[in-house]
Amino acid sequence: MEGATQPASKGGPIRDPFPGGADGSARARRLRGAAAALVLLALFVAVPLISRGYLLQFATDILTAVVLAYGWNLISGFTGYLSFGQVSFFGLGAYATALMVMRAHVPWYFAAPLSGLVGAAVALVLGPIMLRLRGILFALGMLGLARILEVVFNNWHYAGGSVGLSLPAELTPVAVYVGMGLLALAGFGISAFFVRSGFGLDVMSLNEDEEAAAALGVPTTRVKVIAFMLSALLPAIAGGLVAWNRSYIDPTSGFDPTVDLQTVVAVMFGGIGTLWGPFLGAAALMIVGEEFLVYFPNLELALYGIVVIATVLAFPGGLVGLANRLGLLRRPIVLSPKSLTAAPPEPRPREYTGPVLEVRDLTVRFGGLTALDHVSLSVRSGETLCIIGANGAGKTTLFNAITGSVKPTSGEILYLGEPISRVPTYLRAQRGMARSFQIPRLLPSLTVWENVVLASRHGRQSHRAAEHAAWVLETIGLAQMWRDPASRLTPGYQRQLEFARVLALSPELVLLDEVMAGMTRDEQEAVRSVIRRLPEFGVAAVACVEHVIAAVADLCDRMVVLDFGRKIAEDTPEKVLKDPAVVRAYLGEPL
Amino acid sequence: MLLLQILVNGVLVGGLYVLIAQSLNLIFGVMGVVNLAHGSFIVLAGLFTYWFTSATGLNPLLVLPLAFVVLGLIGAGLQPLLVEPLMKFGRKAELLSLMVTFGLSYVLLELALQLWGSDFVSVPYLQSSWSLGGLEFSKAFAVSGAFAAAVSAALYFWLNYTDSGKCLLAASQSSTGAICCGIDVRRVRLIAFGLGVGLAAAAGVLVIIVMPLAPQTSDDLTLLAFVIIALGGLGNYGGVAIAAILLGIAQSLSAFFLGGNAEYVLPYVLLILVMVARPERFRPA
Amino acid sequence: MNDAAVASDAPALALENIVAGIGPLTILDGVTLELRRQEVVAVLGANGAGKTTLLRTIAGLLPPRSGRINLFGEPIEGRPAHLITRAGIGHVPSGRELFPRLSVADHFELGGRLSPPARRSELRARILAMFPALGQRLAQRAGTLSGGEQQMLAIARALMTDPRILLLDEPSTGLAPKIVLSVFQTFPMLREQGVSVLVAEQSLTLGLSAADRAYVIDQGRIVLSGDARDLATDHRVVDTYLGR
Repeated sequence: MEGATQPASKGGPIRDPFPGGADGSARARRLRGAAAALVLLALFVAVPLISRGYLLQFATDILTAVVLAYGWNLISGFTGYLSFGQVSFFGLGAYATALMVMRAHVPWYFAAPLSGLVGAAVALVLGPIMLRLRGILFALGMLGLARILEVVFNNWHYAGGSVGLSLPAELTPVAVYVGMGLLALAGFGISAFFVRSGFGLDVMSLNEDEEAAAALGVPTTRVKVIAFMLSALLPAIAGGLVAWNRSYIDPTSGFDPTVDLQTVVAVMFGGIGTLWGPFLGAAALMIVGEEFLVYFPNLELALYGIVVIATVLAFPGGLVGLANRLGLLRRPIVLSPKSLTAAPPEPRPREYTGPVLEVRDLTVRFGGLTALDHVSLSVRSGETLCIIGANGAGKTTLFNAITGSVKPTSGEILYLGEPISRVPTYLRAQRGMARSFQIPRLLPSLTVWENVVLASRHGRQSHRAAEHAAWVLETIGLAQMWRDPASRLTPGYQRQLEFARVLALSPELVLLDEVMAGMTRDEQEAVRSVIRRLPEFGVAAVACVEHVIAAVADLCDRMVVLDFGRKIAEDTPEKVLKDPAVVRAYLGEPL
Repeated sequence: MLLLQILVNGVLVGGLYVLIAQSLNLIFGVMGVVNLAHGSFIVLAGLFTYWFTSATGLNPLLVLPLAFVVLGLIGAGLQPLLVEPLMKFGRKAELLSLMVTFGLSYVLLELALQLWGSDFVSVPYLQSSWSLGGLEFSKAFAVSGAFAAAVSAALYFWLNYTDSGKCLLAASQSSTGAICCGIDVRRVRLIAFGLGVGLAAAAGVLVIIVMPLAPQTSDDLTLLAFVIIALGGLGNYGGVAIAAILLGIAQSLSAFFLGGNAEYVLPYVLLILVMVARPERFRPA
Repeated sequence: MNDAAVASDAPALALENIVAGIGPLTILDGVTLELRRQEVVAVLGANGAGKTTLLRTIAGLLPPRSGRINLFGEPIEGRPAHLITRAGIGHVPSGRELFPRLSVADHFELGGRLSPPARRSELRARILAMFPALGQRLAQRAGTLSGGEQQMLAIARALMTDPRILLLDEPSTGLAPKIVLSVFQTFPMLREQGVSVLVAEQSLTLGLSAADRAYVIDQGRIVLSGDARDLATDHRVVDTYLGR
């Protein structure tokens, strides 16, 4: 951490602290992208000029598959919630369109987008309920939804029952084709937004580690529901267009589970969670599938099944994964700091003058075990408090209760004078309560830069997130490795990155959980110097749980000792460390 | 009286449900894998039974041990190829195995369609019913329920009173702890999967005696098994048994009072109600 | 058990330059240590130093990247973990890893399944004598036991595998001093019965007072070793341990 002992940057242009990723490769990437876009546009325009029959229909089908694939990828790929029932939205959209046209005489150009909104509305209602569940339950819940909808529409006479509804041939096949093409483009656009934006970074972070993301201020439920809504919008509108195309809709075709199968297979094959995966996979599978069916009719399902199995077992990254190994189609780094001016944080006025953190009579029980027993302490502004104790004394549970990942059985926690027991973890982080984890919970597939800018986006310098993140990285000394995936860092650097994320939130209160564990003497010294400088970073108070007492004894103003969930001492470090009861509790009872 | 009849029917159906659910629960408890091909195995066994009885005219219950052994072995053979390689991915194994078994379910679906077409078929076995104290017991249901109960009881006995069964329970509660006892946890997983598939096959033979099956019903069966497990507690054998019977009774009641497709939709509605009312049950572990 | 390999002078356990880690992380960076027959050895170190990884590597839960592990002269590195248990290494893992819905009696049964019935009864009787509290709770589910009882059960289960070596990972965690005392009092008993004990401990004084010899591990390497009594008065131990 060499940077920590150098004077902090005062702002102004920096001689490229973020080496690599030179403009050259970005330009080449843009040229390739433009070329690909032109080719696709040419193909798109050519098809209806060549044919009005089979080829047009086939092209429309490919585009439909692409749209569905993009939709599925949003919730299952980027967000990580596998859904085996996205066809629910497809059918809902189809029915919504048909009902609007047939029963309410809504013109077609309103019906399609409105169907999209119907799908999104359903996702909005179901999302908060279902997205809090484990992955499997969500997947099966969606599967169940599709089945329920099929039964419901089968029995709903207003919607035509099992016969369904037919639509007048108002839209020409070319119009449907163009509409689907635009929708596919929209799908690509939304996915590109996911891949490049801060919101997309939020999505990817909660996919990797939801708890860590919440600790960095990501409003996880809100993000998930928005992703879910977008993933419902696309198939819903597609359903409407397909209903037009076929001129009818019935429960069987509207909620056909094979549609889900094809979508899943397409995205897995193309590369789940990528920008180009859904497009490549859907197109490849449709084309290959057509050929295959010529020779082996009626074996479609088996083909899809085998492709899924083979992809998961042999190349889970799909086509894009293979391309990545050749250096192609790599995900660009989000909010890249190239040509960025790092600047120290803007000072914030501090209104509240009382203790930053107050813990009153806190008790936490897990079943029969009392982890914390009526613990009270406070951390004043400008102070560093150290909490020590043997393993199992309750130190981490205390932190977990303060940050909100554990619910207290009784007692109160006040942050900046206000009770926070009802405030969710991510909001506590946004309000300036930052916590490091005992075992670093980095987001392994995201780069060092992205790990830090994710935090700064939600912290108290969020209006200048990128600049602040750049400054943090430089100050801590990790700027050289901004492009490395966090998983490739050595343990020492990983801990520094954990620290950097905490600082990126620009917190009032910093909670450090055994930050010295496993560090070399040099690394400890570097961390110590950062801790000493925390007030410079705008931090009002620090509470650290430590095992390696000597490393923090001279940094802290007061020391609290926990033993079996109870506070047994609280005083200046010198007095506490001389207390025989403390020495016994900490170093252990001699036999 | 009528109410009693409905309850009895519900319990008999519940008996079948216990078997359908426990066989999936076994796999889930030990490996954290949800076998989405579960229903496909049930249907394959059922359709095979139909073919067997049509071709030979023999008692369908004779197929039970055959289906159990053959499909059990197939399951045990597939586990090291499709499922075991995913175990090394830790937390992601759950979702990856969903994908793989999802694919498998469609391969099996295609197989069933090729062999037996897409029509609903059932085995006309013991069409009549017994009268007992004013109540009608459908013979087929009674026999099927009895066999299902017997198989479930055998499973329960094996799990709780034999060494190999306890090894399986141990491995499902702590695989590290099981290793510390010298248990070969890989082999336990293999056996659990094979057994789970074999029991699903047994369920299939018993199901087709009382209700028609077709290849496309496999998803519904998987979902049914899963709903019961979710209601009864993932990995909790006692809870699942109770949930299965209660669901049988609930369906029987709703079929009578609400008629039509209510009983079909009921499991999902119950699941959603529980998800809304008691979300803590389903919070990530 | 390979009698030919039970050479009279081979130590119970010998680790030579063990390197182990998870993914790109290296946690053990060339560990060499020895556990002689009928001795109690403590491995001391701060959190994150590598104690748990060391025990897991010996037990076979984590294959080492390089180096050798010899059990009474027989190489066992890379062997599947359940076979290492069968070879005679009992493991009481951190977190205990009990079977919460199985009874205390079940734990005894499962631990003893590798032994013939006569030996099993003998072991059971002896272990219940060591931990009478367990004897009063045979039908109780492990998940409902207190922390101290759970730790005792974890040790009992490991002892039921009739080990020649017992590995214990921080057995004092979260236990009241009296219980810790009774747990650590079993080590000399085990030593008399011919079981060599390797205990990883975070509690410094506790580890040293219960052991014959000790190693101090820091950053994945052994930095100090020697007789427990000598180390107890060596200030370098406390320095390393407290990070001075």
